[in-house]
Amino acid sequence: MSAVSYAVWAVLGATALALWARSRSSRATTAGPAAVVGRLATGSLARVVLVLTWMFAGWHLFAR
Amino acid sequence: MTAAEPGGGWRTTALLVAGAAYALGAAATTPFTWPADAMTALPIVAVAVVVLARWPLRPQPAPRPEVRGHHPYRAWVVLLVAAVAWELAEYLARGSRGAHPTLSSMGDAIDRTYLLKALVFFGWLCVGGFIVGRGMRTGTSAP
Repeated sequence: MSAVSYAVWAVLGATALALWARSRSSRATTAGPAAVVGRLATGSLARVVLVLTWMFAGWHLFAR
Repeated sequence: MTAAEPGGGWRTTALLVAGAAYALGAAATTPFTWPADAMTALPIVAVAVVVLARWPLRPQPAPRPEVRGHHPYRAWVVLLVAAVAWELAEYLARGSRGAHPTLSSMGDAIDRTYLLKALVFFGWLCVGGFIVGRGMRTGTSAP
């Protein structure tokens, strides 16, 4: 089962990289990661969720 | 901060160097100890203070990115939903964490290597700084 699990994570990661690469082309139809974060950081509710998610991720990964 | 801002390049470079040094220090700490708590809490508190002090009360949404599609964010939303769904499925699955890895357990594996942990910590700091910077911009000044 773990091979399938890791494979799914790998596909998700590869998809993120592909989206990022696609967003850099001159005929892009997808926003880049910076634009996505920029949009979230300027949304009334989304920016709160974004900052709290960043805080939780750091605390969970490095402290607890 | 923009590229045209006087001293902006030096400021960014200084912040990156300070962040890298801080990440190297933070990576030397062990989770569940007070040094790890302190080294992680400091950036969190700093971001909270800057956000409360500098972010506009009523932000203007960032301008739409210059892409051809009508839904520039849709693919990312779909990917995020898929990742959250898989994370939940793995977290709730019966069996060992090794058989059902979550982002958290994979992060723990990375944290066992000092340099990787320092890189991840530095990336986390950069993302935090980026979020804070983007949130300070209004809709009229964002790129």
